[in-house]
Amino acid sequence: MLQGTLIYGFINSVVLMLVALGFSVTFGISGVANFAYGALYVMAGYLSWLGLHSLGLPYWLAAPGAVAITAGVAAMIYWFILLRVRGLVVSEVIATFGMGLAILELFRYLGFIGFEYTLPPLIDASVMIGDTYVDAQRLCIVGAGILLAAFLWFFTHYTKTGLAFRGIAQDERTALTLGINADKVAAWSVAFGAGYAALAALVILPLGTIAVNEGYNVLVNALAVCIVGGLGSTVGIIVASFLIGFAQILTATYLETSWMMLVSLVAILAILVIKPSGLFGHQKQLEERI
Amino acid sequence: MLNVKDLIVFYENAIAVNDLSMEVREGQIVGVIGSNSAGKTTLMNTLSGLIWDMLIKEQRKGGERITVMGSVHFFEEDISKLPAFRRAQQGIVLCRERHPVFPDSSVTENLKIAGYLRKRAEVKQGIELSFDLFPNLARHRSRKAGFLSGGEQQMLAIGMAMMVGPKLLLLDEPLLGLSPAMQTQVVEAIKDVRRHTGVTLVIAEQFARPLLPWLDFAYVIENGMLTLTGPGPELMDNPEIKSAYFGV
Ligand SMILES: Nc1ncnc2c1ncn2[C@@H]1O[C@H](COP(=O)(O)OP(=O)(O)OP(=O)(O)O)[C@@H](O)[C@H]1O
Ligand SMILES: [Mg+2]
Repeated sequence: MLQGTLIYGFINSVVLMLVALGFSVTFGISGVANFAYGALYVMAGYLSWLGLHSLGLPYWLAAPGAVAITAGVAAMIYWFILLRVRGLVVSEVIATFGMGLAILELFRYLGFIGFEYTLPPLIDASVMIGDTYVDAQRLCIVGAGILLAAFLWFFTHYTKTGLAFRGIAQDERTALTLGINADKVAAWSVAFGAGYAALAALVILPLGTIAVNEGYNVLVNALAVCIVGGLGSTVGIIVASFLIGFAQILTATYLETSWMMLVSLVAILAILVIKPSGLFGHQKQLEERI
Repeated sequence: MLNVKDLIVFYENAIAVNDLSMEVREGQIVGVIGSNSAGKTTLMNTLSGLIWDMLIKEQRKGGERITVMGSVHFFEEDISKLPAFRRAQQGIVLCRERHPVFPDSSVTENLKIAGYLRKRAEVKQGIELSFDLFPNLARHRSRKAGFLSGGEQQMLAIGMAMMVGPKLLLLDEPLLGLSPAMQTQVVEAIKDVRRHTGVTLVIAEQFARPLLPWLDFAYVIENGMLTLTGPGPELMDNPEIKSAYFGV
């Protein structure tokens, strides 16, 4: 029982981290809190399903296609809607939340509800770890989480676009004077974040069915992790994922499965009351020095 | 290489740059001298194109109206309407006031980010050159830029601007907030940079004393208007300058 809790707690934590990474990247760079994030996540799932079942595409085409389209849609949302209200935080939140609602409710309206909307697991098998039964898909999730986190680190430290991400995240004007097209780079960051949401969807959604409501849950979880960890802090995201991830599994195991979502909401409330900047909120030491 | 004609910049209804014309020739060091709120930063932002970014942001917010009139030509080409990042691509690079560095990134990383427009090999060379010119930076290469002293940050900021590969480097108050000793160091560093690269410089400053002897030409502005012009050493001896800027 304890072993099972540890293993499932760990897996659930990685799920949360996967879900939060894309949201955090976009926010950290363009300053856009992308409230359409959950909708993009679900959209990637439905697009992949449509590719597989309506178009009859093989998985290796349908899945990357869904990721690319999701990232493209996010870039277009940025270019045609967000760019005009860039820097006006309330307008950005309203615009992205509105787009998210529109996308999610459109899927509901079009009748994308039911148990047939599932994605295939990458590997259909299961293994025993100690005396706990774990399906291979959950191990794939852990692998994907480590891979995507590592790639993000590599990307933002060793590629031109990634370094430009870090530049405009810290000081957009200075970046402009260095020849970096901040609007273009910010659009990339929104697309990049949406791409991460889509990849997370492709590995996580096979655990259940693709459902419209999943979009809201994903948004709440991503927000909870980012707020508890401290917006823009990568270490914070990892720590917060594990705190909330284990708290959710403990709640599900010892209290009530349907309360899992409550954990995220309580976490958001608690951190806002106790330490609004989050556990690893922005580098205080630097701010004080300047 | 740079020709500014009848430049006027308004913030809402207050005029910050008033009918200013200036010329910079290749290889020169040109000074823009003026006291607080004379309009130096506004002029530098207009030359670098940053003013368009401010203008657009204000427009989006429905904030204050910024109006820019007049023309800026770079190598005979009208660049008045180009945004900052395009001007940087063409070789006009501004180093903003108050040592603009990326505080959370290390010194090396700051230089790498600044090398956005350069090829990988050029970035490597540029970093080595910066470390040669500024030994202090080499010592702190993996320290976060936010933890550097003001003078070190200023040197890093100049190093970053040089990474872009400027033909014309605009420095906005590079000596601001530095001790006299540090000011001398930064002036030496600027001269070194020029010796090594032959880059053309426009430097805005209020404390002109350490710089004036080196200026091929200086424009003195007050309330956005040109009041005096002439070669730096000549202005050194000007009684008005002496009383206004050196308190003599
Ligand atoms: N964003 C702005 N909105 C309104 N007025 C501004 C703005 N920026 C500058 N000003 C005004 O324009 C004038 C010129 O300012 P500017 O910053 O160009 O001066 P400066 O010479 O750089 O001064 P300092 O030496 O203090 O940096 C000042 O009167 C200032 O109050
Ligand atoms: Mg100024």
